[in-house]
Amino acid sequence: MLATVSSAILTGVEGRPISVEVHVSTGIPSFTVVGLPDASCREARDRVRAAILSSGLKWPQHRVTVNLAPTGVRKGGAGLDLPIAVALLAADGQLPLESLGGMGFLGELGLDGSVRRVPGTLALVDAIPARCVVVPASGAAEAALVRRHVVRPTPGLRHLAAILRGEDGWPPIMAADQPTPDRPRPDLIDVRGQPLGRLAVEVAAAGGHHLLLVGPPGAGKTMLAERLGGLLPPLDTDEALEVTRIHSAAGIHLPQGTLIRRPPYRAPHHTASLVSLIGGGGVYMRPGELSCAHNGVLFLDELAEFPSDVLDTLRQPLEEGRVLVCRARASVVFPARVLLVAAMNPCPCGSERGPGSCRCRDATRYRYSARVSGPFLDRFDLRVMVDRPEVSELLPPGGEWATPESTATVGARVAAARLVAGGRGVRDNAAIPGSRLDELAPLQAGARLLLETRLRQGRLSARGLHRVRRVARTLADLEGSTGPVGADHVYGALALRAEVFQPEEAAG
Amino acid sequence: MSEPVEDSPGAAFAAALAGLPGMGPATLVAILRQWPPEEAWARVCEGSLRRPDARGRRAESEQFAWSDDGHPRQPKPAWRDAAGRLDPPQWWAYHAARGIRVTWPGQPSYPRALAMDHQLPGVLFWRGSLAWLDSPCVALVGTRRASPDGRAVAFEMGRDLAGAGVCVVSGLALGIDAAAHLGALRAGEQTGAAGPVGVAASGVDVVYPRQHARLWGQVVAAGAVLSENLPGRPAQAWRFPSRNRVIAGLVKMVVVVESHSTGGSLITAEAAIARGIDVRVVPGPVHSPASVGSNQLLYDGPGPVRNAQDVLDGLGLFLSAAKDRGAPATSRTENLGAEARTVLDAVGWRPTSLNQIVERPGLTAARAMALLDDLEARGLVGRHHDWWVRRRPS
Repeated sequence: MLATVSSAILTGVEGRPISVEVHVSTGIPSFTVVGLPDASCREARDRVRAAILSSGLKWPQHRVTVNLAPTGVRKGGAGLDLPIAVALLAADGQLPLESLGGMGFLGELGLDGSVRRVPGTLALVDAIPARCVVVPASGAAEAALVRRHVVRPTPGLRHLAAILRGEDGWPPIMAADQPTPDRPRPDLIDVRGQPLGRLAVEVAAAGGHHLLLVGPPGAGKTMLAERLGGLLPPLDTDEALEVTRIHSAAGIHLPQGTLIRRPPYRAPHHTASLVSLIGGGGVYMRPGELSCAHNGVLFLDELAEFPSDVLDTLRQPLEEGRVLVCRARASVVFPARVLLVAAMNPCPCGSERGPGSCRCRDATRYRYSARVSGPFLDRFDLRVMVDRPEVSELLPPGGEWATPESTATVGARVAAARLVAGGRGVRDNAAIPGSRLDELAPLQAGARLLLETRLRQGRLSARGLHRVRRVARTLADLEGSTGPVGADHVYGALALRAEVFQPEEAAG
Repeated sequence: MSEPVEDSPGAAFAAALAGLPGMGPATLVAILRQWPPEEAWARVCEGSLRRPDARGRRAESEQFAWSDDGHPRQPKPAWRDAAGRLDPPQWWAYHAARGIRVTWPGQPSYPRALAMDHQLPGVLFWRGSLAWLDSPCVALVGTRRASPDGRAVAFEMGRDLAGAGVCVVSGLALGIDAAAHLGALRAGEQTGAAGPVGVAASGVDVVYPRQHARLWGQVVAAGAVLSENLPGRPAQAWRFPSRNRVIAGLVKMVVVVESHSTGGSLITAEAAIARGIDVRVVPGPVHSPASVGSNQLLYDGPGPVRNAQDVLDGLGLFLSAAKDRGAPATSRTENLGAEARTVLDAVGWRPTSLNQIVERPGLTAARAMALLDDLEARGLVGRHHDWWVRRRPS
């Protein structure tokens, strides 16, 4: 007898519908899986057999063939365990065939017959063409986010068999829709001093400008970067769904039953491999850290310690907001629109407190700064030097300090500025194309004169000019001035564009 | 402008002797004092030249044919082998055609100050004109990783000393050395100024550091670049201390502008003290790492100098055209607004980051940047990468 159920496999962050066909016929008892299963999928045989026996069901003493269609696509993962088991039981006559009509299944089987959640549930359920989808109980809330299917949770194979035979009813979905309380995020109120760093973080959040922080160890670079995520406005439903789908596919822990509403913050260590940052690898093509930070913040600490080829591969995705990863068997598009924040030391010894104060040789310093290529450095609209706070800033001299602004206060300004920027028809100010700068960020006479002077002095390049104008636009938005950009804003933008690295000027 | 000096006939042989394997300055001096270069070379070729005692006693006389430890002095076979492979006139013609000259003790062109030295170089190669060494010479030395302030001091001092007819000697390195040379070159544009002299640790045709190619050309054109090392020799770490002793030997006074806690300029100062040559120090900020060594030196004894006038006083010379060194700093800041004054105070006299300036209450980053731009245009502050420092307007 033949039974067919629908399921899905994961490629990148997209699901792909798979039809699981099981045929049971007379012959020497055997169990064969065909249709390009990979090792994890072929192992299903042993899990399915154990689960069926543990659940008090019968293992058919017949010739069993499992086909995974379409057969040309490589299949991986344990998510097909449950559909194979169900189709097998139906084909063997232990379940009524008609109970499978319009049903899709998804889940990994334990040897005791329990059903486990698989990574990428959201994308997988989205891809299943059936009207009703049966998923592990722990993944039901996530599956329900798709809102196109009737989602049926199942705790185990024994229970599921009873339900399909009509002996029992479906259990309700656990009401997990109450958002888990967010872990408290670091607040800007803890940052003492650092006026320039605080401003840079605010501008980066408001305009979507990539930010490079340069400073000695202990200056507070990481502290500032961690607080940037909190300044970004919460994700809207579409963005949240996209982010949740990526995180689910990457197997990152999701908040219980809710969408990811907070912009993600990812900080990969500098030993990260190229594939782990960009995405790819294996049959699934797992999304990389770049995509995991989609719609949020990607923080690269110790930027100069990243291999330079890894950094340079980030250039094009940063420009396009997506990355197309191609392999011989598949090519996958990963979303990759991130706010990039990077931190690095000014020199290898990291003790610089002014020119002439560190003991690194010039050649050493030059080599260190050259690890970050010019084109990559060019992606940063904001480059800020952060220095160690003076003792007097850490300990109040007499009374108390004035309390610094909190994330909530600054976040409100950021949200207002983003609203203004959104009204211009661009995603954020960093995305204003050069050709529309005159229209969207016109200059007042004073600002124009200032920029002309800088250009003539050779202290600003043509590319730098565009970046300064975009940042100046964001500064104006933050102040709530919607007219042309003034000289003040341009000065502010110039203050946030430190000449971080310059080889020692040749004296000759 | 190189001197129209005809090389004396022995030049090629003196240079070739300096290139023999294992030849050091003391041995070379001893050989050249004893024989004219051609004759010494001939003896090397035939293998009969015994290596003289480093103190220059005659090796030929029977009583000194034995070294202090009782072994007979043998001719060095390595010298004979090396000499057999070289045709000195042809080899030297190549370098002479490139403007390289050579001198050795006893020649009229050999610097008089060095001739009396107890560690004098056996030969000196040079490009340019050594005539400048006849004027009073002052060495301006200091760290390669200099602060903007140190650079400015070295530049001004080099400019004013050269303008007063003092030959500025330095080491052509990055930082203070380069600033001193550049200052002296600036003064060279006026009449009566002395040309700069650079003492290299590499051969005079090997530019080190490489980014100073233009500076070398300018120094050769206006003054001279000299070295005791053979043309083509690279700059190696061990050559620098011996280069520094040449600097110390050439001058009447060594001025240390800025030095880290250890540094080549301190070696130069030590060499000068050992020779009884005046050492003076430019005082630096107490907290500045670039001034730790020079301030320590200052504390240990040598007197301070603040500018070229102090150096000239120390030399017993007078500045030909006394410059007005009133208090322009105050007069130029009088017409500044209160806000600009706040920024100027925040910048101060040591390198300050924009962050530290913006920390002053009531200043936004944009406003501070605008004010700094204005102050920079007025010449009251200077920018070095992302560090700001107050400047005395000149």
